[in-house]
Amino acid sequence: MSSKTKDVKPEPVAYSEAALRNNAVVVEYCRTSMAALSGSTAGILGLTGLNGFAFYVLAVVSLWVMFMIKAGPNWHKYYVSRQSLLTNGFFGALFTYILFWTFIYGMVHVY
Amino acid sequence: MASVHKIIVIVGFISLFHSAFSAAQHRSYLRITSQEFTSLPLDIIIQAVVSLFAVMWGVLNVSGKLREIPAAAELNTVKWETQRNLPSFYIFNHRGRALAYNFVPTPSKGELENLE
Repeated sequence: MSSKTKDVKPEPVAYSEAALRNNAVVVEYCRTSMAALSGSTAGILGLTGLNGFAFYVLAVVSLWVMFMIKAGPNWHKYYVSRQSLLTNGFFGALFTYILFWTFIYGMVHVY
Repeated sequence: MASVHKIIVIVGFISLFHSAFSAAQHRSYLRITSQEFTSLPLDIIIQAVVSLFAVMWGVLNVSGKLREIPAAAELNTVKWETQRNLPSFYIFNHRGRALAYNFVPTPSKGELENLE
């Protein structure tokens, strides 16, 4: 009986490959810009140590909220999952963030 | 609509640069008056953070339109006129030619000019 209920799968959903890729490009663009801009802002504010990383997490979450606002209530039409939208490329963008953070911090506060 | 967001991006960038210059000037002021740096003035912090969010919002809208990912979403919008337009089945002959074989078509404009 239990094996029979296991066989019942949700109906597969067909996604358009081109649309998925287009959305991924848009998300990647925004994510990279967000990392660079929030890194610059962290440098301007003169954040050091863990404060800077907390600011990065804040920026990532606020970008995610902005994506949700842009997609509206039926985000299912544009993104496969919300969680992966939040966590994808977290560490990749973190390196961009640190680069801009240290650079702008040096420009504004050190020199 | 997109131009509004472009303006938001540009203005936000300028504001971010301005806050950077303000912060640098504040640092140099502290250095000259030999005070200890504790934190930036609140107005610079607010300006930087607000312009960050403005630029993020602008970039999000400038970056392009999101497309709907279900595969049927774009097929549903195709019209029947587009679907049945098959170039391989185009016919350029008219059956009226077989019915009226002694019909002389109206001379074209070039031929009329040659007559005169």
